[in-house]
Amino acid sequence: MASPVISLRDIKKSYGSGDARSHVLRGVSLDVAPGELIALVGQSGSGKSTLLNIVGGLDKPDSGEVCVLGHDYAKTPEADLARLRNKSIGFVFQAFNLLDHLTCLGNVILPASFDRGTTNVEARGKEALSRVGLADFGHRRPGELSGGQKQRVAIARALFGRPTLLLCDEPTGNLDSATGAEVIDFFRELNRNDGVTLVIVTHERRVSTIAQRVIAMRDGAIVEGAEADTAQPGSTDDLGGPA
Amino acid sequence: MMPAGNLARMVVANATRSPKHFILSAFGIVVGIGAFVFFLAGTLGVKNVLLGKVFPLDQVEVIAPHTSIAGKNLSQKLNAETVTKIKTRREVKDALPRMTLQFPATGFGKFEGQDIRFEVGGFTDGIPDVHVADDPKLKDVFKDWDAMGEIGPACTPQKGGIPCPDKAWQYCDRQDNMCHKRIPVLVSPTVLELYNSQIADSHGLPHIGMMEQFIAERGRERMHFAMGLGDTMLAGSNLQVAADKHREVGAILVGVSNKARQVGLTIPIGYVERWNREFAGDQVASEYSSIIVTLRDKDQLAPFSQWLQDDMKLKLNDSLGEQFATAMFVITSVLIGIAFVIVIISAINIAHNFFMQVTERRREIGVLRAIGATRADVMAIILGESAIIGVVSGLAGSLFAVGVGTLVDVASAHFLPKFPFKPDTYFDFTWWIFALALGFSILFCVLGGLLPAYRASRLEPAQALAAN
Repeated sequence: MASPVISLRDIKKSYGSGDARSHVLRGVSLDVAPGELIALVGQSGSGKSTLLNIVGGLDKPDSGEVCVLGHDYAKTPEADLARLRNKSIGFVFQAFNLLDHLTCLGNVILPASFDRGTTNVEARGKEALSRVGLADFGHRRPGELSGGQKQRVAIARALFGRPTLLLCDEPTGNLDSATGAEVIDFFRELNRNDGVTLVIVTHERRVSTIAQRVIAMRDGAIVEGAEADTAQPGSTDDLGGPA
Repeated sequence: MMPAGNLARMVVANATRSPKHFILSAFGIVVGIGAFVFFLAGTLGVKNVLLGKVFPLDQVEVIAPHTSIAGKNLSQKLNAETVTKIKTRREVKDALPRMTLQFPATGFGKFEGQDIRFEVGGFTDGIPDVHVADDPKLKDVFKDWDAMGEIGPACTPQKGGIPCPDKAWQYCDRQDNMCHKRIPVLVSPTVLELYNSQIADSHGLPHIGMMEQFIAERGRERMHFAMGLGDTMLAGSNLQVAADKHREVGAILVGVSNKARQVGLTIPIGYVERWNREFAGDQVASEYSSIIVTLRDKDQLAPFSQWLQDDMKLKLNDSLGEQFATAMFVITSVLIGIAFVIVIISAINIAHNFFMQVTERRREIGVLRAIGATRADVMAIILGESAIIGVVSGLAGSLFAVGVGTLVDVASAHFLPKFPFKPDTYFDFTWWIFALALGFSILFCVLGGLLPAYRASRLEPAQALAAN
């Protein structure tokens, strides 16, 4: 196996203190190879999103080692971590998280605001919008779009930096099944054609049908023996509990 | 750290997206900065009139304190030696004597067709002509002509007699039947202002704006008047001059200078010395009434004053200007203090608004962190937004102050009666006041935004994104 894109060793994370202390991750270890498409499934509160946030450097573990794209997070300065998120990691959220006061194009090119090196910003933004089928929506505001269109703008924003790793937290959670299916198909194309590594937190069975690995989590740990190779496509039944 | 251009674009976009928040944050600062500019420009404008025209403070007057025992005058005398001693002081740039006419004298003549007569003795000072040498309009006309030998040719003062060739500048002196140059006379801006505001209207006389222009329009001859030396209009004068010693000299008003005596006339000191000797004796002619001292720096006034008291037993003449300057300083300080309180309260309000905004924008901050913003970027964005409020509030506050100031000036011009030194404007809106206002506005807004910005920058992105 090539050097992993994501390498997690004994990750522990808890919130609160005393009796109210909640152990969200209880020693998670995981390797993700370049070009893999992983589905991370499990009940609500099983620790999937927390794990995804730790992989993206949006949250810090209490203990354990996180190494993503060759960066050991414990030894990486905050500014370098921000640059890594800006250049190499894309995020797609369930709630889209678009800024309503900006146009779609403005949202897509927002990552360029934090980078000195990006050139042809507008052209690249339009290209990203074009990839998600919203070439003509650049000057619209998010408020004028449907949920599916908003998520596609969010995906275009995530792709703007041409990342090698895309982290998606329930990307179809707020979409109807048809639109959700389009988004999942897009992820599959992205993985196949561009070799982007994807980790998708999801409840949707359809995602598991396109994933090369499905990793199930329960009570803050990966369920041993629950990892599966590519499942059969076509089903949209939920995996795990409600969103 | 994100590029400055990108930061500026983002900050402007953020600041303009919620006009309600912007106005709420800016309102107090606009009022505070407006008050600051208004008060500062107002006190500066009034101070300029008071200390620039009414009580010039660039020079101080040294006098001898009056001391007497059993009716005997034991006051320190001011003479040439005193002037020399004062000149040796390091803080003194120049020291020039001033001598008052110490015997009865009157002035009389015609002005705009009206006979005028006024007391001159005790109300006329002599100063060295070099005292006004820095004024190009006066340096060639304010001279002790008699001492310079500008006498002749012969003339006869009677009607039909031999006149003097230069009617504008000469008169025929009855004492020696020779043409003498008229004694040049200066008045202070105070006298001119008193004439314009108190005398001109009530006597139907013309206002005098620029004295030089007035003289040029009316002609030098209309500035002539005579001085009756030894004569007086006041009963019970201390010094009586025998009637046979009375004599007349010709004078001419040559201009206005703030070096002139505040109320009265000012002529070259040589005339006063000679006349005091002639009418009051050698002793009087050798004593100066005061010494005008120009200091190298106004800040050196205190040590100079102390030296005068300790070593010379002399003192500075109580200067209304200094008292006004002190009063103005106190008033300015209080008003600016009030303005600062307003601005500080506004900065607290800005902090409160930004705390609210940071809470409302937690998710947005989380998104920015997720796509590559560093903690420093988040802090710079919030501080940039508060600085924008500072810039706009500073400009708006300054405009507000200028607008109110203009209204005050217009109201004063239309509704207030004329009074001495009534200014066209009460405000001096000089550039540095605006620069200071803008600087303070930005500073206090940034200070107000500092804590919310820090808090925003410390938000963990995952927590911020989890916010509803």
